[in-house]
Amino acid sequence: MINALSYFCIGLGIIFWFWGTFPLLGDRSVLFKLHGLTVADTLGSMSIIVGLLLKIPSEWPLLILALISLAMWNTMLGYVLAYCSSSKESHDR
Amino acid sequence: MILNLLLFAMIAALLIPMYEAWQDDDIWQKMLAFASISTKAAIMILVVSVLRDDWMIGVVGVIILSVGNAALMLLAQVIKRMSDVLQG
Repeated sequence: MINALSYFCIGLGIIFWFWGTFPLLGDRSVLFKLHGLTVADTLGSMSIIVGLLLKIPSEWPLLILALISLAMWNTMLGYVLAYCSSSKESHDR
Repeated sequence: MILNLLLFAMIAALLIPMYEAWQDDDIWQKMLAFASISTKAAIMILVVSVLRDDWMIGVVGVIILSVGNAALMLLAQVIKRMSDVLQG
């Protein structure tokens, strides 16, 4: 039961990954791609790590550390990349 | 066995941002693709460490997750400052 649940979490995470990554190939703006990619990557990766946590509960300190650094760094990196990539155009105007 | 198949799916997902970073010349699109690659590679390292039951590899994955993203953030600031200076 727990095994099936962990495989479900990992599979869901991979679906999130593909869903957020395919718009990268299109011709939309950087901010549109950044939003989709940040949300999908963070949620998908957290789901995969929860799946791994269900599989091997004995290594929880390491996996919780991975979860926390994902939740903090990826959101912050999204903001910084959005700021850096968009401020150039606002200078020009 | 199932974890192996899931790892192949992850490698397929990793190829998309790699292709994007290779074919797009805009620096911010490249940075975006690199950020995606770093997160995906770190998660794949964690999956491999579960697969092989070796936690030395897992520690490497967690270090990449925390330090690699910080390095990308600093790199984005440097690129922005450089482009500001070059444009005058």
